[in-house]
Amino acid sequence: MTAVAALTERMIRITARDDLPFAILATAGIFGFFNFALRNVIDTGQTNYAQYILPVIIIQVTFLGALSTVDRAAHDQRSGFGIGIRTLPVPVVAPLIARMLYCLLRGVLALLAALAVGYLFGFRMGGGFLYTAAFVILVLLFTLALSLGADATGTGAARSAIVRTGASSQLLLIPQMLLVMLSTGMAPADSFPDWLQSFVRYQPVSQVTQTLQGFAAGGVSVSNLATSLAWCLGLLVVFGALAVRMQRRTE
Amino acid sequence: MTTDAALRKSSLAVESFLFAGRLLTHWRREPVMTVQALLYPTFLLIAYDLLVGKSILKITGRDSIYGLVPTCAIAGAMFGALTASLAIRVELDWGLLPRLWVLPVKRASALTGRLVAEAVRTLAGSIIVTLVGVLLGLRFEGGWLAVIPFILVPVAVAVVFSTVLIAIAVRSKSSMALILVGVFSVSAVFASSGAPPVETLPSWARLLVQFQPMYPTVQYMRALAEGGPGLQPLLVSLIWALALTAVFGPLAIRGYRAAAGR
Repeated sequence: MTAVAALTERMIRITARDDLPFAILATAGIFGFFNFALRNVIDTGQTNYAQYILPVIIIQVTFLGALSTVDRAAHDQRSGFGIGIRTLPVPVVAPLIARMLYCLLRGVLALLAALAVGYLFGFRMGGGFLYTAAFVILVLLFTLALSLGADATGTGAARSAIVRTGASSQLLLIPQMLLVMLSTGMAPADSFPDWLQSFVRYQPVSQVTQTLQGFAAGGVSVSNLATSLAWCLGLLVVFGALAVRMQRRTE
Repeated sequence: MTTDAALRKSSLAVESFLFAGRLLTHWRREPVMTVQALLYPTFLLIAYDLLVGKSILKITGRDSIYGLVPTCAIAGAMFGALTASLAIRVELDWGLLPRLWVLPVKRASALTGRLVAEAVRTLAGSIIVTLVGVLLGLRFEGGWLAVIPFILVPVAVAVVFSTVLIAIAVRSKSSMALILVGVFSVSAVFASSGAPPVETLPSWARLLVQFQPMYPTVQYMRALAEGGPGLQPLLVSLIWALALTAVFGPLAIRGYRAAAGR
């Protein structure tokens, strides 16, 4: 058994009772909550609100998952386990790869949960196999990019007070909430006050959810797809480089 | 002589404030609490108002801020109480609570002190959320005196809610039960906000929304701001508060004694 496989199994065993069930329950819960609260409030024209909101719920769950990744990476880095593993003859990036595999697994489970609940409330994948595949790939790209960023944050600042007390993931709650709630994933741009509309329209969460909404409906605009891919791949490269770099740090 | 005088003056009130002071100092230095009890509810109020304000105004003709300020103030009280209750588990594991338990003070002060601290923290959060609400257009149409009961309602919610959470925290090994209770309670508050307007819900959902404790509580705060009749929601909220305290108060006391005195 390789180190990565063993470490991944360890991650799953640790989280099987809290983080993994939480990823599934939180997905269903957040979707149910916003669908219930906003279905009769937000006017999305012809589109069913469940159809409209599902992509941003997936993004929201990805953000929450990334916040728990910050704490877990920090814990791995400073615990006895983290110190022990650095003395073993395994690649330095093995724990990082294991954590990322775990994040992708959690992403897949959350995505399945979202699609299952969404289907109950009228969400449909209307674009056939290729669009569905594109939907899944974009979600996983986004998940991986954010997870790498979270891991770099957790590992890099594992010993600082702000990460040790769990405050960093708490503080990040606020920007992610603003990005999700003030996006065209929650409501069409016209629903927001005039002065806010251009921010709402062009911020990354709006762009990515718009692409996902397009994939679900079976058609996206090229410029929107390019923007979303640029965000996802750009973050992937930057955060990926940072996360790998953090693994090399020794004390 | 001076120690004697200090000992004689020591009462349940003094000791409660001592315990409360410990928690408040701790929370002030703990960013998690500042975020959960003060910053998050405030930003949630702003984001939610920006998100639904225009649509609610179009549907109901009323400003959504009247439902959202009570909602976010109470939700902030709950986030804070939840964060505090998660820490109880940690303090038990460290052995801090058992160590405090053997101090020569009245036993009740550990719990009353905790509730006093909850009240003080929530009062601060309540004031901040209400201030931001006023900036966003909240007005006390029945006179500014109504602001006093308005900011005290979340304080009462925090005290009752944390009694429930303490009863659970001292019994459960994992934090899952606490988080589930927290999630359900916060959802109950949001379902009561008036976004969605109750009239737009199917009848089963309307029943579900109206027959839970947070609905009359939010309604009472709304009545205070709008200057409408508030006696009926106030009475229903009080009945809920008394019932929950009657059930969970003894459970919290007994559980705390068992956990800290072990």
